[in-house]
Amino acid sequence: MQEIIVHKGEKKHLVIMHVAEECAQWQIKQEADSVLTVHVFCLDTTADTESSVILDIEQIGEHAETYIYGLGILTGKQQISVRTHVKHSVPNGKSNQLLKFAVRDEAKGSFVGELIVAPHAQHTEAMQTNRNVLLSPTATMHTQPQLEIYADDVKCSHGATTGQIDESALFYMQQRGIAPDEARRLLLAAFFHDVQTTLNEPAVEDRIQRKIEKIIL
Amino acid sequence: MLDIRNLHASIAGKEILKGINLHISAGETHAIMGPNGAGKSTLSAVLAGHPAYTVTEGEVIFRGKNLLEMTPEVRAREGLFLSFQYPVEIPGVSMTNFMRAAVNAKREHNGLPVLNAGEFLKLMRAKRALVELDNKLAGRSVNEGFSGGEKKRNEIFQMAMLEPCLSILDETDSGLDIDALRIVAEGVNKLHNETSATIVITHYQRLLDYIVPDFVHILADGQIVRTGGKELALELEQTGYAGLVNN
Ligand SMILES: Nc1ncnc2c1ncn2[C@@H]1O[C@H](COP(=O)(O)OP(=O)(O)OP(=O)(O)O)[C@@H](O)[C@H]1O
Ligand SMILES: [Mg+2]
Repeated sequence: MQEIIVHKGEKKHLVIMHVAEECAQWQIKQEADSVLTVHVFCLDTTADTESSVILDIEQIGEHAETYIYGLGILTGKQQISVRTHVKHSVPNGKSNQLLKFAVRDEAKGSFVGELIVAPHAQHTEAMQTNRNVLLSPTATMHTQPQLEIYADDVKCSHGATTGQIDESALFYMQQRGIAPDEARRLLLAAFFHDVQTTLNEPAVEDRIQRKIEKIIL
Repeated sequence: MLDIRNLHASIAGKEILKGINLHISAGETHAIMGPNGAGKSTLSAVLAGHPAYTVTEGEVIFRGKNLLEMTPEVRAREGLFLSFQYPVEIPGVSMTNFMRAAVNAKREHNGLPVLNAGEFLKLMRAKRALVELDNKLAGRSVNEGFSGGEKKRNEIFQMAMLEPCLSILDETDSGLDIDALRIVAEGVNKLHNETSATIVITHYQRLLDYIVPDFVHILADGQIVRTGGKELALELEQTGYAGLVNN
């Protein structure tokens, strides 16, 4: 387990490149006015193993901001579970989570998003979104938002959906001459686009883009 | 160009097309009219290769080849274009990326080099002008948030980009305002030549004032029940389908 403290007023960016065999765990505390951005990429498809990523984040100082962005493509017989645990212990905190997974073959994905707003953590703004697409009938995704909100003057929202590639879009693209594989690639790139644009680091963005394309093709 | 012989097709076990015969030569424009639920869109979907339909009998020859053996994308690259009655929205996929993939797939199929970025944008600009498609629309995701009329105009823009041999326009006139109808119809006419053919599916004579058909077919309950010249559409306006089918 890695422990990190994001100090008062500090801005920290953490990019986690998940490795297939690893069970990785971070415990992070954020002091006042700190900004933490975490990117989680599950794009290592070299081994069909069971693995996990756990992010345990607590805001212990006011006016802290937490951003968690994640994307993953699971293939073969991989089983990956991503768990976020975000705790607002003090007032005036902000958090936003956006995680997207595409699950292929017989892979199994799981996302558990725990969001806790302590009783006195008023004026918290917290958002959590999880979207998944299943690329084969044998792929599965388990998604479980878990909100525990004990303060009354807060803005919190969450949404989770799991769907398939839009067949009518696929046919429409085929009717224009685009091969199904290329159509799927364009549709998946569109699916991940909003997560990728949060990176703001062209070099990393390129690397991620290449990885995605390599897996999809 | 297109030869449809005794085509039967069904969806979910229900027979919709019950023996269609239709011969279309290069240079011709055919209108297909008929009551709601007759099978007009089914015929276009079957020709385009939609996987939900099963062809149970008959054959279709397109430019000398067996159309029904081709995948939908190969049919498209061979020059078959369908302007959808209900164009699909594809959020996140830009018109530019979509069209570039389509145009280059067709070029590669025909042994032509793919277009570079500059050539491609030039082509986009020229074809946009043809149907007066707003630059803002061309810069957005495919059909996302387009109005009904804008989607139809976008279909004809795509047709202009792909320069098909056979275009099937499924109720392209529905949702278009009077000016847009004229612009879109003029676009279709400009794209039509002696080596291409057009099938227009419509409920209204108004479109046929602009796109003048050589033949008008009435499709009812999965069969072509009458064929005539352009005057058949006018007659239909007078009598309605009930009058015609009883004749
Ligand atoms: N999935 C389906 N299962 C059963 N019947 C279907 C299915 N899809 C279409 N149909 C039926 O097929 C018939 C033909 O439909 P189609 O869309 O081809 O008609 P159309 O001639 O294009 O009508 P319109 O003028 O309203 O566009 C209709 O009766 C319709 O209900
Ligand atoms: Mg129809």
